[in-house]
Amino acid sequence: MNETAIKFTNFHYGYINSDIILHNINLDVRKGSFTIISGPSGAGKTTLCKAMAGIIPYYYGGRYAGDVEVLGVTTKGKRVSDLAMRIGLMLDDYESQLVSLTAGEEIAFSLLNHGFAAEEVEARTKQVLMDVGLPGRENYQLDELSGGQRQRLLLASVLAVHPEVLVLDEPVSAMDPDGANALYKLLYKIYKEYNMTVVVVEHNINFLLPYVTDMIVMNKGRVAAQGFFEEAAAMTYAIPELRRNLPELWQVKLNLEQRFGISLRAWRKEAEALEELKEKFVGGALG
Amino acid sequence: MKITAFTQLITVLAVTTWVFLLPVPAVAIILVLELALLLYIKHDRLTMAAIGALTVFTGMMILLQLIFGSPLSVSLTGGLRMFVMTTAFLCLLAATKIQDIAQALVEKFHLPCEYAFMLTTALRFVPDFLTDSATTLDAQSCRGYSNRGNVFKRFYSYLAVVKPLVMRAVAKSDTLALSMELKGFGANTYQNMTPQRLCFADYLVLFLVMLLSLYPLWSKYI
Repeated sequence: MNETAIKFTNFHYGYINSDIILHNINLDVRKGSFTIISGPSGAGKTTLCKAMAGIIPYYYGGRYAGDVEVLGVTTKGKRVSDLAMRIGLMLDDYESQLVSLTAGEEIAFSLLNHGFAAEEVEARTKQVLMDVGLPGRENYQLDELSGGQRQRLLLASVLAVHPEVLVLDEPVSAMDPDGANALYKLLYKIYKEYNMTVVVVEHNINFLLPYVTDMIVMNKGRVAAQGFFEEAAAMTYAIPELRRNLPELWQVKLNLEQRFGISLRAWRKEAEALEELKEKFVGGALG
Repeated sequence: MKITAFTQLITVLAVTTWVFLLPVPAVAIILVLELALLLYIKHDRLTMAAIGALTVFTGMMILLQLIFGSPLSVSLTGGLRMFVMTTAFLCLLAATKIQDIAQALVEKFHLPCEYAFMLTTALRFVPDFLTDSATTLDAQSCRGYSNRGNVFKRFYSYLAVVKPLVMRAVAKSDTLALSMELKGFGANTYQNMTPQRLCFADYLVLFLVMLLSLYPLWSKYI
């Protein structure tokens, strides 16, 4: 559990003809963790994701220094497609990432590219569609799938190559709250089932609060906080301009802890918060 | 009886040649056969709409030829030929998955995989492009876009729709390229697919295609 899946060491990066976007990034993503990357817009979260998948600097070029290691291997000089066998990346614009006409072809696409045999492709396609809740949809045209189903299809196509690390960049940015909750619930199920390392860029931490183990908070191209969720949340709360990025529940918790000098449990659901608050404040020691 | 995409492509190419080689009554018979085949394979609303649109387009072609002074028989024959050639492609698209067509083009016709992929991608993104176009038109209408006035004025004002549409298409193509990179697109894409082996039905169809293609020869000597 203490092994590192992704490691940034003194990493700096700037796109061609742009200012430096990432400044001196030093961070570790633990193997087997469910990590959220949060922070205000323009903080460098997407660039960080692209660096994890080796897209930066391989695809975009630009200026960089330092090193990024994925599962102990440096991304320097590696082709994106080679790294994709071990680290899967889902970008935010899911519509444009679907390249085939049917669900089965979409999943088979990356498997065939990576040289899997036709029988293996068929078996994996069937399995992965079941995993994402789209069983038997191999021959469905993309037009026949709803937005949420397409999103899950893209997830399936990334999962099909069995990556050890899965990185998702704002996967629910175009979804309603119910769809977002359903996708994250599914993601958590897959994370548990396959014992993967999952990294999600998400503005709204509320969606991921029940599942997340670790957190990285970015601000102006630098890492503002990182570590286990509880520790990183406390660090973030200490920076006034980043407080509002925390889930409301944790803003309340950390505020109460600061004001009354008490220690509250790590709330993951409203019900847990309500129970403890009733216990401590209504007729309790602080009531 | 299922024939491979390769045989179907050869047949379509042959049909486009036959319309010029065979006598007009034979071309008309091919049209009837094509329409029967198309409606047998697929008889949904989209197919009917495609046939309808093609009929209107053919009518316009004939009318244009008449306006420019072509005799009626020449105009009708031209229209018929165009109709037969296009219907052959409709049959091909209705009967075969585009992925299989792309595979046949790469494997058998040695088309570079990038071009074959362009074919599938173009079809994949047509509905998205139409949706984007409608959304952009609505958005620009809210901002005061109007298609009133003379042709030049309308053309000029339509630039307000075209510009964001092009920008969006470019952004999408960048994401698509990135996605293909992540999915390892390359020469392996079509090579690793299950090979399309020719069976008895393919050989039979190819033999008939060859026989009909040699019509000018055997009609002359037999």
